[in-house]
Amino acid sequence: MTPASLQGGGPEPTARAAVVSVAAPARSRLMFQSQTSRRLAFGYLLLAPAALYVLLLVGAPFLFSLYLAVSDANVGEPVAKFIGLENFRSAWEMDTFWIAFRNSIVFLVVAAIFKSLLGTSLAFLLLQEFPGKKLIRGLVVIPFTLPIAISVLAWKWMYDSQFSVINWVLSRLGLIGQYGTDSWPIWLGDPRLALLACIAVNVWRTFPFSAIVLLAGFTSVPLEVLDAAKVDGCSFFQRFRHVVAPMIFPILMIGFLFDTVFTLSDLSVVYLLTQGGPANASKILPVLAYQIGIQAGNLGRGAAIALFLVPLLAPLMFLFLRNLKRREY
Amino acid sequence: MATAMTLRQKERRRHLLIYAGLTPFVFMAVFPIYWMLITAFKQDPDLYRMDNIPFWFNMAPTLKHFKILFFQTNYGAWIVNTMTIAAWVAVITLVTAVPAGYALARLRLPAAENIGIAVFMTYLVPPIILFLPLSRVVAMLGLQDEWWALVVVYPTFTIPFGTWLLMGFFKTVPMEMEEAARVDGCGYLGAFLRVVLPVSLPGVLTAVIFAFTLSMQDFLYGLAFVAPGDQKPVPVGVPTELIRGDVYYWGSLMGAALLVGLPVAVLYNFFLDRFIQGITGGVGK
Repeated sequence: MTPASLQGGGPEPTARAAVVSVAAPARSRLMFQSQTSRRLAFGYLLLAPAALYVLLLVGAPFLFSLYLAVSDANVGEPVAKFIGLENFRSAWEMDTFWIAFRNSIVFLVVAAIFKSLLGTSLAFLLLQEFPGKKLIRGLVVIPFTLPIAISVLAWKWMYDSQFSVINWVLSRLGLIGQYGTDSWPIWLGDPRLALLACIAVNVWRTFPFSAIVLLAGFTSVPLEVLDAAKVDGCSFFQRFRHVVAPMIFPILMIGFLFDTVFTLSDLSVVYLLTQGGPANASKILPVLAYQIGIQAGNLGRGAAIALFLVPLLAPLMFLFLRNLKRREY
Repeated sequence: MATAMTLRQKERRRHLLIYAGLTPFVFMAVFPIYWMLITAFKQDPDLYRMDNIPFWFNMAPTLKHFKILFFQTNYGAWIVNTMTIAAWVAVITLVTAVPAGYALARLRLPAAENIGIAVFMTYLVPPIILFLPLSRVVAMLGLQDEWWALVVVYPTFTIPFGTWLLMGFFKTVPMEMEEAARVDGCGYLGAFLRVVLPVSLPGVLTAVIFAFTLSMQDFLYGLAFVAPGDQKPVPVGVPTELIRGDVYYWGSLMGAALLVGLPVAVLYNFFLDRFIQGITGGVGK
């Protein structure tokens, strides 16, 4: 935001200010200064509740989690001792940790590929004008708007080991065998399928988000610019490559970063579908952190595992921040 | 005349192609919802047989699953909890985010933009990093195992989002209105309360809606902080209490999920564009 936009843009405020100063010519500089400080005091007063809330319940807990990670804090034992990097070291030496780490990365990358493919095609379709567009758009975004814990339940039922509707269809199509045979996939119970099944739910939930973000990007490109490029003889591809892509890049970037943060840190899909099983096949870092921190009561080690997400997320946050700031000017 | 016909035909063919392309997406998005809906009304024997086509009722529909839900589980209590939590969260979000958004957008505070971005960045700190330390905070406040814990915790993401959203909104209110009010003798507070707030009502309403819908998107905090069966909100209670061991009451589960999920989804649907605008920083239309 530039100073001009802060003032609502345009010359009107100064004009108004001139009127004010004509109306009250006696106002001294001192008066003006006290006005400014009154405005600032009022501003900080308004800002204080939100800032305090965020500092106390996000900032402080974040620092506290750093402290937990270097302590032997336990649910049963309120007094924690400093144990240095012991929690990180023991996580580092845990096989499950590395499985979860690898699964988290696989989850993120595979899901990102599919949701961007689906999201892009959907965005191009929704870019067209056709009757009933609003309704169709409303239907297509349902997966994203439905509370996640609730939609995962529908998937759990569709992945049921015996009464899975997916298997029913596949079986009728002759693609898989009968229930009880080896060719009847048990989506959540087979170590080769469990992670994929969880990824599918994440893709299902977030492809509308990718599409809508892309759409927001496309519609932010002014038609005049496109027309100008057309007049200048740019082909469709050239227009896309040199006009649309650079213009929508910042928005895409933000959408992508958002999705990465939420995909990487979401525990509900895996927790509700498989709890990370069978035999850790679908274990991801958030689930591991929850199981160790809350279920096993080892707050320190749980916090350490959750903090391993920070090096994964920090570069993204940084990019996000830079992107956001650059666009403002 | 003839060319007009072919034009229209061409248009129609284009539409048909688009519909054909969209069909798989609509199917993919809606099928799980349809499947929940039909499951919720099917009789148990109808759910657990493989020999007939499962996409429609093979036996008469039933309300039995909903009866179980309301008379044999805490579902009613969960709905009340969910609504009360969301209402409190909305109130807390409003009284903090509205003034903060206004201050950052309009009062020319030094570094207002950076403060705004910093507040918004906290929205990106994932709950999975905060839930363990917050569990200690909740215990310190003596709120463990009560839904009040969630009232305290949910604003950690609704305030940053709400502040950011309202900041964008207040920027669109013409500055002259405020200044005119000030010339007419209003103080800063008066100008804010009497002039800016009334014209910003749609933005304030949007923030309330998000406080509601975002609180219902949570699962982790509810799972970690609230253990007693009757204190849970719906998105946590349904998957943790209605699944007992290996026994699944699929009909009741789906009914419970839909009854709360669908209204939230519909509400969110109407405000989705605002949400996207919010996170992409208000660019685009």
